[in-house]
Amino acid sequence: MEDLNNDEIRALAKAVGLPLEEPELSQVTHSLNAMLEEMDAINPSGFNLEEYVAVVQTADLEVAE
Amino acid sequence: MTVANIPFLSATELAAAIHSRDVSATEAVDTYLERIDAVGDRLNAYITVCAEEARAEAKKLDDEAADGNFRGPLHGVPVGIKDQIHTAGIRTTDASKIRADYVPGTDATVVARLKAAGAVIIGKTNMSEFALGDPISSWFGPARNPWDTARNPGTSSTGSGSATAGFLCATSLGEDTGGSIRGPAANCGLVGIRPTWGRVSRAGVDGASWSTDTIGPISRTVADCALTLGVIAGHDPKDRYSRPEAAPDYLDSLDRGVAGLRIGVVQELMGGHGLNLNEQTREAVAAAVEVFRELGAEIVPVSLPMAPLTGPIVRTITSTERVSLNPEWLRERAEDYHPNTRVAFAVGNLIPGQVYYKALKLRAMVRRQVIDTFRNVDLLLQPTSTGPAGLLADEPAVVTNKEMAVAALREGSFRGLYSLSGCPALSIPCGFTGDGEGALPLALQIGGPHLGEAVILRAAYAYEQATPWRTRRPPEL
Repeated sequence: MEDLNNDEIRALAKAVGLPLEEPELSQVTHSLNAMLEEMDAINPSGFNLEEYVAVVQTADLEVAE
Repeated sequence: MTVANIPFLSATELAAAIHSRDVSATEAVDTYLERIDAVGDRLNAYITVCAEEARAEAKKLDDEAADGNFRGPLHGVPVGIKDQIHTAGIRTTDASKIRADYVPGTDATVVARLKAAGAVIIGKTNMSEFALGDPISSWFGPARNPWDTARNPGTSSTGSGSATAGFLCATSLGEDTGGSIRGPAANCGLVGIRPTWGRVSRAGVDGASWSTDTIGPISRTVADCALTLGVIAGHDPKDRYSRPEAAPDYLDSLDRGVAGLRIGVVQELMGGHGLNLNEQTREAVAAAVEVFRELGAEIVPVSLPMAPLTGPIVRTITSTERVSLNPEWLRERAEDYHPNTRVAFAVGNLIPGQVYYKALKLRAMVRRQVIDTFRNVDLLLQPTSTGPAGLLADEPAVVTNKEMAVAALREGSFRGLYSLSGCPALSIPCGFTGDGEGALPLALQIGGPHLGEAVILRAAYAYEQATPWRTRRPPEL
């Protein structure tokens, strides 16, 4: 996948209300590109059959409450 | 035994000496405070030293002991508490400027339980700002590794590792999200256990990532770890995600050995697979596996194909969850954060929703793989980290390229199986980089099924007693 550049990252940050300028802007760009690239590459067999199940199990909550 | 030797006793030994009245709580507290005064500045392990409160508490405990009353198994034992865990009347800063003056009105449940067991809170330990995994982000300056003060003591419970290894407390509490108990234990030559998620109450603990945060001990010995965990574990109605099961006495089964246990070795974490495993670490863990075999365990290779992928999954989830906490601070007080914290929070804010949801689905797959694996083996072995503690100056304080960020994400894969599955895991020393001064600890990780802390501790104890690593001490400061 194509990396996002600093201008694109700055625009994304503005959209969530975060002003972002150098030197932190480039660090955020590198870090987010790394995360997106690594996550994009993880495609195990059976992924499309999977749905997220909460780590908290119903039985636990019933007792806790 | 001389009073000067008190800080070098294990917590278990000190508790026994106090119970037998060979040592008083006041002597224990005073000798630790003297050592903190003498060498504490070199480690910067504490944000707040609770000298006055600790001395007053020790006096009360000695008065009670004089009447034959001992509160519990930690009577008079000085304990360090990570500074994201609330302590009534004592500031709890999260190592941040924003929280520098915050004084909670009540104790976290784990602190209340420690006090009820007779422990003395000797200080609040340094940490990465808001428990993110950065070694230098503390508003109070970085904690340092007693084995080499130029090195990282392990994040994010930096001060708990530093104080415990530097003999500035008898045992300590850390908080593990993606490895913040196991990492400091590994870097500092200590024993640290991340309990089953929900096994230990998080009531009164400032969160980092709700679905992975756990509280647990960082100690010098396996017995100390078992002793401390036994005090803090168990259901707490104040934590709605607390597990209902009662905690066993973890000391009871420590000496049962490993004969008959079936122990797996995670093949994907023993080299290759895009992970930069240090060769000395690989050899030390392989040698540790042989020790378990010689002790009577059945050793089997285990494949967990998603194990080397867990680091990015953990980081995606924890980065997203942590920015849900106090989002107004980032908008209104951004300048009060360490720059590295601002970068991490900004990344967390920009992760697309579909990537976060993908991480949740992958987590479900990893969780099932881990749980299924524990139907066939009792325990899993693997390295705790890529290698020994790095130099503080070499840590990725500034991310200058994407490759550096990728390496940092993947490194988390050594601890990701347990952060994602909620299963417990313990780090224990399994060797050193050399024989002389300057040698650094290497670490083995032992994982187990949900609520499997007792069998993990039992195996760790058998290994500890069969190997010489527990006898090594950091150079005197």
